[in-house]
Order: sequence, then structure tokens, then C-alpha cells
Amino acid sequence: MRRTVLSVLVALVAVVLLSSAVLARGGTSTVTRPRLERSLSATFANLYVQQSHVLGRHDLTPDSLHARAMCDKHGPDVADVGPGGDWVCLVGWDDPKQPLPPEGYGKFELNVHSNDCYTVSGPSKLTGFLTITDTAGKEVTNPVFEFDGCFDPAGDDSPTGVEFPSLLSLTSTGLTPDDQGRVGVQVSCGPGSDGCSGTMVATAAGHRLGQAPFDVAEQSTSTITFPTAVPPGAGEVSFEVTTTTGIGPTSPASIDVQESTATAGAAAPVE
Amino acid sequence: MNPALAVDARGVTKTFGSVRAVDDISVQVAAGEVYGVLGPNGAGKTTFLRMLFGLIRPDSGTIRVFGRTWDEAGVEVLDGVAGFIESPRFYPYLTGRANLAGLTLLDGGTPPGLLEEVLDVVEMSDRADQLVGGYSYGMRQRLGVAASLLREPRLLVLDEPANGLDPAGIRDMRALVKRLAGRGLTVLLSSHDMEEVEEICDNVTIMTRGTVAFHGSIAELRTRAPDPGHALATTDDDRALALGAEHPRISVTRDPEGALAVTGPPAAVSSYVGALVRADVGLLAFTPAHTPLEALFFMLTDDPTHQSLHRPDRVRVAAR
Amino acid sequence: MTAVQTSADARAVEPAPAPRRRPSALAALRWEVRKLRAQRRAKAVLLVALVAPAVIVVVIHGQSRPPKDTLFGRFATENGFALSLLVLGFASQWVLPLLTSIVAGDLFASEDQHGTWKTVLTRSTSRSRLFWAKTATAVGFAALVLLVLAASTIVSSLLAVGHQPLTGLTGQTVPAADALRLVAVAWATMLPPTLAFTGVAILLSVWSRNPAVGIAAPVVLGMVMQLVGALGGVEALRPLLVTTSFESWHGLFTQPVFTGPLLDGLLVSAAWCGFTLATAFVLLRRRDITGG
Repeated sequence: MRRTVLSVLVALVAVVLLSSAVLARGGTSTVTRPRLERSLSATFANLYVQQSHVLGRHDLTPDSLHARAMCDKHGPDVADVGPGGDWVCLVGWDDPKQPLPPEGYGKFELNVHSNDCYTVSGPSKLTGFLTITDTAGKEVTNPVFEFDGCFDPAGDDSPTGVEFPSLLSLTSTGLTPDDQGRVGVQVSCGPGSDGCSGTMVATAAGHRLGQAPFDVAEQSTSTITFPTAVPPGAGEVSFEVTTTTGIGPTSPASIDVQESTATAGAAAPVE
Repeated sequence: MNPALAVDARGVTKTFGSVRAVDDISVQVAAGEVYGVLGPNGAGKTTFLRMLFGLIRPDSGTIRVFGRTWDEAGVEVLDGVAGFIESPRFYPYLTGRANLAGLTLLDGGTPPGLLEEVLDVVEMSDRADQLVGGYSYGMRQRLGVAASLLREPRLLVLDEPANGLDPAGIRDMRALVKRLAGRGLTVLLSSHDMEEVEEICDNVTIMTRGTVAFHGSIAELRTRAPDPGHALATTDDDRALALGAEHPRISVTRDPEGALAVTGPPAAVSSYVGALVRADVGLLAFTPAHTPLEALFFMLTDDPTHQSLHRPDRVRVAAR
Repeated sequence: MTAVQTSADARAVEPAPAPRRRPSALAALRWEVRKLRAQRRAKAVLLVALVAPAVIVVVIHGQSRPPKDTLFGRFATENGFALSLLVLGFASQWVLPLLTSIVAGDLFASEDQHGTWKTVLTRSTSRSRLFWAKTATAVGFAALVLLVLAASTIVSSLLAVGHQPLTGLTGQTVPAADALRLVAVAWATMLPPTLAFTGVAILLSVWSRNPAVGIAAPVVLGMVMQLVGALGGVEALRPLLVTTSFESWHGLFTQPVFTGPLLDGLLVSAAWCGFTLATAFVLLRRRDITGG
């Protein structure tokens, strides 16, 4: 009986001590945005140079790349602290032979663990797929496709100041006019600072359907409707985007109008 | 603090939970004597011996071994002290010899040749290289004695040494104890067998339910022993009972199992037996019920008030 | 026992004076080591620590898809250093606590099991000395089994896969000679947390008096600690867990190297060791040996 009472007492004391230690430290994670940004940019730079060596290039160094990263955890409404599989990092770098797209970065997805290590999946369009062909013709693993990194939990936590604009893209694959003939286009604003805002002009069959403003928060979607109806017989609508915040498609995008009576036209690429 | 005392225990008490295993025990064992601690199972003998060895810490009281206590001297109290508690235990995956060799390491070494000598004394030399896991009870007991002798003790403490042995083993154990005592060793042994204590001990403490029921020499014990009576079996028990009622100085009783018992002064008992024979009552059995000391022992250990300790005239005799 | 030993009787009629026996400081340690060597369990564990890594290395090397969920796993089939670090990461999950508990968790409880406390505590060695001898044996064995495991893993990894330059945790290329040194150091950093588990096993062995508890409970505790450490939201607990120290080697492979977690891990492991051993010591000192 005494042994049981004693063990319970010891367990209670241990729990109390642990809880106070937990409370005293405040419970903040060592996984923070600045540490991820610094670690990711350094790791990516080294691996990108490694990839370039495999491909036979010797003109790049990690310093010459000036890799810079902006990281965000799960959208603007969640604090950028703590482990998770929902970290998104935008990374920009300077490769004179392979320029970046207009927005100036590639989007990387990170799974960050509580032990201050993370696994990165890179944008295949920019960094390549699982394997690459080396100068000898052999298929080898692409070092930048997917990689691991770890950062110092006591590392520099001051903000890096790296900011990238959000990218606005039109995501509708087809437009369906409502009963009054008006159309709305779905847009998606990617991660980045400050979201996407500006104006969009829609034109169909030579007629201007109107100019609509938009203000979409980063990592969210919205639908922009135009007040004027689509003229009957118009096969597609062309959208021109002017952004004040963020980056949009640089040339007008055309999207087919879905109408049972309309003639099907060639699908225009949506940028 | 008497330097001639091998063991000087005063006012020793130990409580386990709600049970008082040892209650204010005082025991003095002089150097060179053979001392018995006697009592039924559960009397607290083993607990007392464990406290002597430092295995259990007493709640109160002091135990001095050759003048030193555990608090003062630590494990050095056991210099010159050896023995075993209950049945001796060894490592079953080692041989007897390896076990003993290990114990000599813990002792700080032994004179060369002593290990073989003690194995010889306990007649385990030929079995010493078998694993202890395969030993019989008696073999382990003998190995325990050997382990004790390895320490060249002045005081040998044995807890029920004959327990679990066959008659030959018991006889050998008693002979060994007598021989060691003859060499001048102080022996403290515990037992629940009065006959054994009577045979080898000089002085005795009788314990019951954690307290002392009697201190003193065997001789003193004998003077206090009552007549235990005789067990009687006849061809006509009813007639024998009736005849017994006619003899005022003896008492004949029938116990719940139907057996007869006769108690009384020896002369009166003889005359009663004569009367039985003359009355043509056949005697089938006429045997002493217990030895006198055994009777005293049972009386003392069944008596919760221990009146027998100080007032001999208040010793209860079989009711008339 | 009937023969009269004339030589023995002639030696002394009077009781001899008490021999002043003082066992050397190492006597009890020698005894514990001797007992350990006589049992199969220690040899079996060392054998497993020698052979199992080689088997694991061969198995992983033969796989077409490397295990990507552990650090360095993705390089394990192409790089011998990465393979040895993969095995390191795996061993720290439950293998190391088990390897030390098999001996440490049994050292004290086996005395209860065999009933031999009353045999060894009635000689000339104090309880403290016995405690430290057993603890030293457990610590020495833990260090030895870690050494065997590390050596076997590194050698078989390098032999099976090779000694190519290693891609570090900041993407940098680590030359083979440096990689070998860092891998050896990484294995060495497993010692403090392993010894912390040795302390836990000793405490459980003394407290429970049951070898099964002393062996199994530290392993279970290790797994629970790992689970807790991986949870989000209890970050303040992480540095206090022993299993966090098992991962402190990551900083050796980044650029620049960081050693903060290594130092923290050392302190935490030392604290766990100190607390568990002190508690076990007090428990043993105060115990009443009522049974065997």
C-alpha cells in the first residue's frame, strides 16, 4: 500500500515539475520562418550547383545564385511558426542561362518536422523531375527534385526581408454564362506578400464586357463577374489583367464559352 | 557495552505495516556459547536475525555485534560474522566453486587453500563443479555452511539450519554445529524444534508473536517444565476414566479425539496404572505425550500473557 | 560431514581474531563482470550488435527504392556513409534502449529473482559498493555494445556500398574522409542518451524487482518519449526528453556545423542519469530485504 502511495506521489511531483517547465518556456517552437528561409536558400543553392555539375555546367557557385526564400505556413491567417506539412516557400535565384518565370520564383512545398529538419519538393518545371541525364548519358537522381535539410534551432531568427509578389492565375477551364448572359471567371491568388489586386478587362468578339476590379487575398480563390453579357455567338472571352499588387498573366488569356449552341473552338491556353 | 558479548540486542522493534514482527526484543549472547532462539513460525526469529545481518533496519533499539552497531561501523560490523538466513541461495548459472570464489571476492579474499578445505568439511568437493541450479536442497544447505566457514567467523548465525533436511542431514548438521562450538565459535541459531535446541544450546530465548517469552539456560528451562502427562490407550477407556476419578492425585481426561491422557505426580500415576491392571483393563499404549521441555515450549508460546516468565508458581498445569 | 578434520581442528581451539577484510574498490566490479560473462544474455546481445547491422546493410542495399522517410535514407543505396547514418537513425528509436536495458534492467532485479540479496549483502561489501559495481558494469556494457554496433554498421556500410562523398544537410558535398570522421562522431553522440536509458533501466530494476519490467519498460518509455517529441504543441517538453538527444547529431552535417543541441542533449542526459541513479541508490540503501 505504501509503495503505491509513494509511486503516485512521485508521479504527481514529476508531472508538476514538467508542467511548470513547459509553462515557463512558453511553448514556442524552434521552427520559425526566418530559420527556414535561410536554411532553404543555402541548401537549395548548394544542390542546384550540384545539379549543374552533373549536367556539365561549371559556371555557377552557390554565392552567384543569390538564392533567396520567402516561406509561409498555411496561408495568411496562420502564424508562420511550428512544424507541419503545409509550409510553402517561394524561392528565387539568378541563373543566367535559365531565367525564372515573370513572377521571379519557384514554389517549393515543405514538410517540416519538430526535430528542425524538413523535406522539400521542388517545382518540376523549374528544377527538373526525379531523374536527370548526366554528361555520360546515365540516368541519375536529380538532387534538387526532392531533398532534406536541417536548421539550427538556435539560428538567426531575425526576418530576412525577402518578399515575393503573389501570382494571380485564371483557373476557369470554361465559361458558362448565366441566364442574363454574363460570365464570371475564377481566379486563384498564390502565396506571396499582400495578395493580388488590380483590374481585369474582358473582351468577347470585339466587344468590351467591362472592367472589373479584384482584390484577392493570397492563397485563396475568387470569382470575378463582368456586368455586360456576352454577345451571342461569341466563342471565347479574352481577359487582360493589370495588377497593382502581385503579378498576373502578362498576355491576355482566352477561355472558351461553354454554350450548347456555340460552336466549339480550339481551347486557348490559360496562363 | 560488555566486550565479552558477541551479540547485544536491546529493545529492538520492527513493524511491517500493521504487523509488529519484533516487539521490544532484548537478547545477549556471550562469546563462546551456543545460543538458541526458539519459537514457532512467525514468531519473529528470522526478522531478528535479518536485523542482525543488516538486511532489515530496526525501527528502534540497538543491536551490537562484538560491540559495534551498523550505524557506527557499517558493513564492518560483519567482520568475523557469517551465516545464512532461511535456505541459502546462490547463482544457479554458476558452479558451487564459482559461487564461493565470487563470495571470497566480496569478502576481500581468503587464505589460499581455505576454499578447498571448507568444501571438504561439508563434503561437497566432488559436486563443487556442478551448476548450483542442479543442486538438491541439502546440497545448497551444505554449500551455505561452506560459504559461512569461508569467512573464518567468530560468530556463526544459522537460521533453522536443519530445516528441510532428511534425518541423516539433520544429524550431520547438529554434529557440525557441536564441533564448531567445540572450537570456540559462538553460534547463534534459530529453530522451532525444542529437541534440537535442548541438545546443542547452552542458553535460549523463546520468542512468540514478536516478543520474548523466556530468557535463560536450558537447565533453568528444565526446572520450569511441567509434567506433560502420558497418552493412554486401553481396551476399556470408559472404565479407565472411572478408575481415574477414584484417584484424587491424578487426572485422567479425554480429548476431543477420544484419546486419554493422564497427568499427575509419577508415584500416583504408577499406582493408577497398577489399579488398571488389577481391574483387568488392558494397556495398549502408555507413552509420554511430549518431552518436558516441549510441553513447556508449547505452553509458553501459546500463553499470550507470558505469566510463565517471572512467576513460576503461576505456570498453568492441566486442569483437574 | 562425519569425518573429523584433524588439520582443521588442530588449527585453533580458541576463536581466531576477526580477520580484517577490506575488499579492494574493484573487487565487487570484478565479481559483477564475472557473473555477466557467465550468462548467455550479454554474449548474445553483443553477437546481435555485431551481426545484425551487417544483415540490415545487405537488405537495404538490395532494395530498389531507398527509405526516404528517414534522414539520409534517400542516399542509402548509393552512399555508404548515408547508409550508416540511416541505421543510426533507426537504432536510436528503440534498439539502443533495448540493448542497454537487457543487461542494466536485469542486474538488480535478478538478485531478487534468485533470492541472492541476502547472500551478497552478508559479506564484507557494503550496499553502496555493490550498487556502484553494478552501475559501472551496466555503463561499461552499454558503451561496449554501442561501440560494436557502430563499428559493425560503419564497416559493413562502407564495404557494401562504398565511400562516396556525402551530400550534407545543407546540400553541401562532404568529402569521404570528413564524412567518415563525422559519422563516427555521430555514433559517439549516441552514448549520453543511451546511458540515460541505462539509468532508467537501473531505477526500474531496483524499484520493480522484476527483470521483465526492468528490460521492457525503458523501451516502452523511449517509444512514448519519441511520440511526444514528434507532436506539435508540446515543444517545451521536447528538450527535456532523452530521445531528443538521439537526434542532436544533425548539426554535424550542416554548413555551418551547429552544436547547441549536442550540448543540450549532453546536459539533459546527464540530468536523467543523475536523477535515476540517485533515486535507485536511495531505494536500495533503504530497502528491507525480507525475501530471498
